[in-house]
Amino acid sequence: MVAPAATPTPASTVPLKRRKSKAVDDGVITVGRSRSGTILANTAGVLFSVVMLFPVYWVLNTAFKPADEVLALEPGFWPSNPTFDNFISAFKAPLFLQDMLNGVIITLLAVAGALVVGFLGALAIARFSFYGRKAIILVVLVVQLVPFLALLIPLFLMLQNVNLGFKKFDLTDSLIGVSITYLVLILPYTIWTLRGFISGIPRELDEAAMIDGCTRAQVFWRIILPLTGPGLVATSVYGFIQAWNEFIIINTLNSPEKQNLMAWLLQNQTTRGTAWGPLMAGAIITSIPVVVFFLIIQRNIATGLTAGAVKG
Amino acid sequence: MRHGKYPFIIGFLVVPVAIYAVFVVWAYIQAFYLSVYEWSGLGPVENFVGLGNFRKMFDDTLFWQSIKHNVFLLIFLPIITVVLALVFAFLLNVGGGQKGGVTRGVWGSKVYRIIFFFPQLLALAIVAVIFGRVFGPDKSGMINGLFPESWQPWLFLADERYAMGCILVVLVWQAVGFYVVLFSAGMGNIPTEVYEAAAIDGATRVTLFFRITIPLLWNTVQVAWVYLGIAAFDAFALVNIMTVDRGGPDGATSVLSLMIYRNAFEFSQAGYASALGVVLFFLTLTFAWVTLSATRRESVEA
Repeated sequence: MVAPAATPTPASTVPLKRRKSKAVDDGVITVGRSRSGTILANTAGVLFSVVMLFPVYWVLNTAFKPADEVLALEPGFWPSNPTFDNFISAFKAPLFLQDMLNGVIITLLAVAGALVVGFLGALAIARFSFYGRKAIILVVLVVQLVPFLALLIPLFLMLQNVNLGFKKFDLTDSLIGVSITYLVLILPYTIWTLRGFISGIPRELDEAAMIDGCTRAQVFWRIILPLTGPGLVATSVYGFIQAWNEFIIINTLNSPEKQNLMAWLLQNQTTRGTAWGPLMAGAIITSIPVVVFFLIIQRNIATGLTAGAVKG
Repeated sequence: MRHGKYPFIIGFLVVPVAIYAVFVVWAYIQAFYLSVYEWSGLGPVENFVGLGNFRKMFDDTLFWQSIKHNVFLLIFLPIITVVLALVFAFLLNVGGGQKGGVTRGVWGSKVYRIIFFFPQLLALAIVAVIFGRVFGPDKSGMINGLFPESWQPWLFLADERYAMGCILVVLVWQAVGFYVVLFSAGMGNIPTEVYEAAAIDGATRVTLFFRITIPLLWNTVQVAWVYLGIAAFDAFALVNIMTVDRGGPDGATSVLSLMIYRNAFEFSQAGYASALGVVLFFLTLTFAWVTLSATRRESVEA
């Protein structure tokens, strides 16, 4: 939840420049650096990496240890008898698979919904000037700023009494209610980032296509949508991470059968106490989709962060 | 392009605007409305108390304690994170000096970039669980385990003097990688010629950092500051999962968002919780506005 959505800044309008990795060695200029400074910089980098990695290493270490080693007073720095037992018992744990499936459904619904709605909204903001445009942008930004927690009570009440005129629904304790909430949660970022990507497409392309006989709808469908492709991917990955990692809202709205994996982890932390092995194995399983997605878009992440920045 | 644009605008915006209107604007209106009632959260909303909830807040020591903790985070989280992130982003991008006319990061900067981003991939729930172990108050805790047996273990989260500091450490740990990447992206946009020119004029690394990087990156820093400040106003997840008695010991780690949650969903004080939510709303917006206007200065274009 806390992970802030990247906000584009005017300072960074161009995607990260890829530097040539093969520097020509004969033209060494040594101004601006000293040997001791270089050593200091490298040491700082290594130390900092250790601090950043240590907890992650600890998770892996614990997850592959048999139960007696986990609880041993002398912490071993390496599992002496590595085992997959923890992973198996995580999978066998009550509700684990159920909650995993719930998480997948909720996340996909929310991300897909946010992409469709966000793309249309971003198109309107990026390609048209109209009365109230500034106001909409302002609302989008403000919503991003305020902690969502303050909205939890009214949201709960609203989902409890969804009145569609012909019928009343109670969407608390349902996957669809949480999906809608997550959609609302990731929509501001989606609109904002896609707006940046769309603004980056030259308007001349639109005009050229229209001169060639495209209707405006065709321009959006055949020119802008394909060109926004990478933007859609980057945005959906970020939305995915947000929705997949959320646990406060789902924990409040839903019963144990309708949680996602994140909420499952927390509930198991409190009820099982010291079963760290399976818990950490569960944490790893839960993190895998996020890590995989990250590795896929890793190269583009800086571009994705700044792409929303095109002034407009 | 003017012809027939309104059907598109309306068609495109009707869904997002409707969603915002219902789930955000209307939700806030309800939160404001509920804040003047003494209402448990169940049954019909009754018992109008006007500003009673706010008066109650004024006399509530836990409220002031929570505000104090939020302010503590608000001061230190952005400062520490931004400084660390700037330094490391600088090392990654320009720290290696220049070779063959190319400004480079320190050796291995590509690997660092991934490592620093790693905490961002772990969900806050997992981070909280892990750091619960890092700060374990006995020998089984990761930090205490590093010291010899005879050593008196630190209590960390169980000690009211250090508990809030522990939360701060975790928040920084979690956030810093993201800002390293963000600042790196910004620094990548600073033309290398600028650095080269300065380096030829004899600028040291430190000078480069303060005279070139910071001014050219000011807008990004500003935005980072606002986001970190907002994270400081939230902090719910960590405090809720990690701390002793959730917000303890003895209120030593209570924050505003935790008070909202507990009043709303545990103490059956939905009216009071809504009033706290209203306060949080205004505090956050005021902070964002003050930060953005106080740090505004002529932006330097590269």
